[in-house]
Amino acid sequence: MQYFLNGLPIGAIYALVALGYSLIYASAGVLNWSQGDMVMLGAYIGYLLYRLLGINFVVSLGVSMVAVALIGMLVERSVLRPLRKRQAPAINMVIATLGVAIISRNIALVIWGPDAQAFPSPVGSSSVQMGSLSIIPQDILIVSVGLAVMLFLQYFLGYTREGKALRAVAQDRAAAILMGVDVKNSDALAFAVSSMMGAAAGILIAPVFFVTFNMGSGIGLKGFVAAVVGGLGNIPGAIAGGFFLGLTESMAGGKISSGYRDVIAFVLLILVLWLKPSGLFSRRIHQKV
Amino acid sequence: MLIGIGSDLQVKPGKSRSAWIGFALAALAVMVSWVIQSSYYLHIANLIGIYSLIVIGLNLLSGYTGQVSMGHAGFFAIGSYVSALLTMKLQIPFWLSIGAAALVASFSGMVIGIPAMKLSGPYLVMATVGFGEIIRLVLVNWTPVTRGAAGLTGIPLPSFLGIQVTSERDFFYLIYALVLVGTIAALRLSRSKVGRTFVAIREDELAAEAMGVPVNSYKVVAFVVSAAYAGIAGALYGSFAGVASPDNFTFEDSVGFLSMSVIGGNRTIYGALLGSFVLTVLSEALRVFQTYRLIIYGIILILTVIFVPQGLSGLARQGFVVFYRRKTRAASTKASLKEVKNR
Repeated sequence: MQYFLNGLPIGAIYALVALGYSLIYASAGVLNWSQGDMVMLGAYIGYLLYRLLGINFVVSLGVSMVAVALIGMLVERSVLRPLRKRQAPAINMVIATLGVAIISRNIALVIWGPDAQAFPSPVGSSSVQMGSLSIIPQDILIVSVGLAVMLFLQYFLGYTREGKALRAVAQDRAAAILMGVDVKNSDALAFAVSSMMGAAAGILIAPVFFVTFNMGSGIGLKGFVAAVVGGLGNIPGAIAGGFFLGLTESMAGGKISSGYRDVIAFVLLILVLWLKPSGLFSRRIHQKV
Repeated sequence: MLIGIGSDLQVKPGKSRSAWIGFALAALAVMVSWVIQSSYYLHIANLIGIYSLIVIGLNLLSGYTGQVSMGHAGFFAIGSYVSALLTMKLQIPFWLSIGAAALVASFSGMVIGIPAMKLSGPYLVMATVGFGEIIRLVLVNWTPVTRGAAGLTGIPLPSFLGIQVTSERDFFYLIYALVLVGTIAALRLSRSKVGRTFVAIREDELAAEAMGVPVNSYKVVAFVVSAAYAGIAGALYGSFAGVASPDNFTFEDSVGFLSMSVIGGNRTIYGALLGSFVLTVLSEALRVFQTYRLIIYGIILILTVIFVPQGLSGLARQGFVVFYRRKTRAASTKASLKEVKNR
């Protein structure tokens, strides 16, 4: 039970990052490898506002999300759009987004230096005992803010004009163009929303881990894993995949071996992929000739 | 039957071509080794050689067969550790340990190739990333054998056919001899039936299957061959660097190999040599910018994939085609003018 509770917050973080991958993959058809570094940038901007300037946590969260959303739009505009215009192969897009990751990581290194920065939790660090279980307030904050952001995304995709356009593009890009949807707009929007969720994940995880310039690498990889397990492009799947990965990791780390925790997670994932190639939580799509 | 599917297939095989390329490469290598005096430059040249072996394998897998791998550092690591452990613990001669490294790496290539048969696109990427991470994490955690995060140190210098390799220059000859063999082998493979089948799978998997190509087995073959190249490169790297630590085989390294493959142009073999040369030299040359080095590196990476989408060898090929067409057109107009005159 304790492991289950420990797995929930990290699962929420993975889910937020996985949503970013899935949303961009669904609408723009691109694997965005700089997703993890949006998490890092979000954490650093949050650190700057909350820790160094002493601004209120909620305001810092909001400002950081907006700032990283703008960075995401800049990435789409300056990197993805020229590639799409030239109809570059998919692998070029992968390399380009990896280039973005390298650049943002090293800009962070130049600005904030190589040392890990501590980010104090806004809700305190003493754990609360509930019977035999101990609960850390930051974990509650992570899960609740994470869920709030996911609900906001559901609302955005389901009930707003832009969100509906985004879903239309995800379903059939060509048909959406014919129906008069501005695809360029929706691509930029997908990047903005994804980056925003990455930034939220970054600020939430910052008090648990320290803020470092290369924190995006590990989180980004795990988020990608979660997105794939849930079925890339599948929004509820990404959330389920995130929690599934977080819980599996926590259980494997606690019950079997903490050193091999990630190995177990990855072996499991390859097995999952082998048995169900299109992800655990997606329906089978038949290939037509 | 498959003629005309890919642009590669329209190039006439030309038996002497691989021999020519091999000869030119060997001559170039010998000349370079005469010209380079500083051991720093020789060191860089050796690194380029090792990387190009990996990237040749990667090109056969991703450029020819269309299966992207973002976990090649895993095979590289396996080659390194297998060869290092065999030479250190069992005093096995170097050439044998290279063979063992290639063997174990290809076996692991088969293991990852089997689930990869069913996967494509991002799912395949995920599986290969997972493989690379598993290998790295096992190296970190299997302390009794791999000595954990500290890694193996004091890997002995290789001796080959009774000659003890001691200097950067000796390594240069050893590495480039293997690069030469690897290049020629890859060229022969790419022009063989197997190579054509690889291209057929890349162009249209379903069509290839419908034509009776056992697509799954060929995909596994591509993984095995590619892994063997990385394994050999790993064995060389271990004895060359003297150390093998998990830090040398990270996801970022896999990404680096993939970038070399794409920047060089992954649909040709010599693109691998080009890519490893350009990116290694670039990353060394940018050292003058110190902390800004990787920022500039990233920008150049992005600009290259945007403006040279087919890679440098693709650019060279395009240039060649344009030049060749002009030449033949000029020749044919001349010939027809002559004919008209003669009438």
